[in-house]
Amino acid sequence: MENMLAKTGIDRLDELLKGGIPLKSNVLVYAPPFIGKEIILKRFALSGLENGENVIFVLTDTSFFDMRNEMKRLDENYEKYEKEGKVRYIDVYSQSVELKEKDETVTFIDSPVNRERIASSVIQIQRERKSSHRIIFDSLSTLIVYSDAKAVFRFLQVLSGICKRMGSTSLFTMTRGMHEEIEVQTIKHLMDGVIELREEGARFQLRVQGCGEVISRHWIDYILEEDEIRLTGAFRMGRVA
Amino acid sequence: MIETGIPKLDEYLHGIPEGKSLLFYIEPGVEESNIGIHVLHHNLERGLYGIYVVSESSPKNVERVFNEFQWDRKQYDKLIVVDGYSSLIGSPTEEKYVVEEPHDIRSYEDVLFEIIEGIEGKGVIVFDSLSNIMDLCGERDALEGIGRMNKEIEKKGFVSIYNFIAWPYKEAILYKIKRLFNAIIEIKIVEDTVSRQRIKIQKLDWDGEKDRIIDFKVFKPDGIRIYIPKICVIGPFQAGKTTFIKAISKKFTPVERLGATVGLEHGTVDYRGYRADVFGIPGQERFLPLMEKMGKSSMGFFLVVDSTKPEEFSLAKNMINKFENVPYVIVANKQDLPGALGEDEIKEKMGIGGNIPIIKTVAKEGKGVFEAFEKLVEKIEEYKYGEYVSKNRY
Repeated sequence: MENMLAKTGIDRLDELLKGGIPLKSNVLVYAPPFIGKEIILKRFALSGLENGENVIFVLTDTSFFDMRNEMKRLDENYEKYEKEGKVRYIDVYSQSVELKEKDETVTFIDSPVNRERIASSVIQIQRERKSSHRIIFDSLSTLIVYSDAKAVFRFLQVLSGICKRMGSTSLFTMTRGMHEEIEVQTIKHLMDGVIELREEGARFQLRVQGCGEVISRHWIDYILEEDEIRLTGAFRMGRVA
Repeated sequence: MIETGIPKLDEYLHGIPEGKSLLFYIEPGVEESNIGIHVLHHNLERGLYGIYVVSESSPKNVERVFNEFQWDRKQYDKLIVVDGYSSLIGSPTEEKYVVEEPHDIRSYEDVLFEIIEGIEGKGVIVFDSLSNIMDLCGERDALEGIGRMNKEIEKKGFVSIYNFIAWPYKEAILYKIKRLFNAIIEIKIVEDTVSRQRIKIQKLDWDGEKDRIIDFKVFKPDGIRIYIPKICVIGPFQAGKTTFIKAISKKFTPVERLGATVGLEHGTVDYRGYRADVFGIPGQERFLPLMEKMGKSSMGFFLVVDSTKPEEFSLAKNMINKFENVPYVIVANKQDLPGALGEDEIKEKMGIGGNIPIIKTVAKEGKGVFEAFEKLVEKIEEYKYGEYVSKNRY
């Protein structure tokens, strides 16, 4: 059973998910800025790499360069993973700000409106490398801002379907507070699950919808430490938090 | 007549009559979706006008794409870029023609009408992404506007070309699209041995050949080529296979580099719009299993024989018998040597039927080799078309 799941790399979150996210699923990480969304993405990527999987980052809000540095800081093996060709970036951010880095692990796409090129690049990379992938798509919000939710929905309908067929497990992000409720529902509709983060008073909370079997579907408190998310809320019967 | 510049397609279309509109209906995820830009470039090269409407990436990207194919934008004074992107993103632009309100199809119309009124001559108008314009302007409004534009373009005698990514739009919208254009050319992904793209002429309201298919790939910097991923060259030992491959190939990888154990040679043919990967399988008996494996999955093969050695013909014929349903031609090599047999004698001695092409060559001088290539390509296309027709008959 264990190997049908993709560990998130965050211990108690995996516990909550009864081992991890089901393989070949598409999960939305829906959160306001700066309360831990990025940590989930990076941990998920590292957990895949540790497990020998490939990772594709699709980045619309940050350059591949910044992501690479962040990942290196988090894990001393990251450079090795990159050298082994395990990591690929689709950078939809840099060219628009005229950053020119020559690097074979990166595909530059000059515009978040060019959904066709984003989709075909993600598909091409999976086609080239037969083994399974973890895809981190950060973020759908940018795509929606530059066109509309319906267009992104169609894009996602194609992309998520193909990625699933190719055996990949994907995290897509959306920023809470940027979209109308109907847009969020439209996108959620295409997902196999949602990991939602919120700030409630002075507390951070997380909730899982979908994602196969989970222990609890309630909001669960977590605290944000440097580079870590630590679930502190109780979610298991008979367990002392 | 306007041409697409895509090999073979122009032949099937019989060119594009002035005033017509043509849509590339593209499956999402194909490796190269911007087919329109090749049509644009081809017509600029012919000295015609090329109006390029960008809506999904910045006009600066036009230069980048041009550079990838080693085209120089400055060289084409009849290239007019319509910038439908910068206003969308809110970035500055150096283009003369700008769509001020990319969420309103009228804004596209205004700019285009201004341009075509001001120019004398013929040419093409290429839209980088109809789907994106539909997403921005609303599907129905956009299509109505395109209908109006096509009428004006028609009056002017221009040809309009649209890239359309077939995202899962509603059926009613797809239906509208199919009615709106004079020609629809579908582009899909084919994946058997190597991934490539397949053109199929879906709709054509002028005299041309519908339902034709062409498998192609976009090569940088060479451009669009009809692509045949696997052609094998077989034949008895010392018949001249290596010489033959060298003679037809633009690039050739000698066998030593791949190691003697495999002994597979590879050549890349780039000839009149065609690109083919050609694999030479050594003639020694120990390579028979390889030959069988490679041959069965190939699109076609050349059987090279030494025309002066009839004693080897039965061996050669055995090779053919291993592949049913794979098109082939016989390359009767070494025609310069005394005692070289002619077509009829070879046929007779090999005991093969009349419709198998035999091409006489002198591979070391490059004589007849491209004739053989053309003939094989013709056979492959005939076969593919026949297969397609029989599949779709019922």
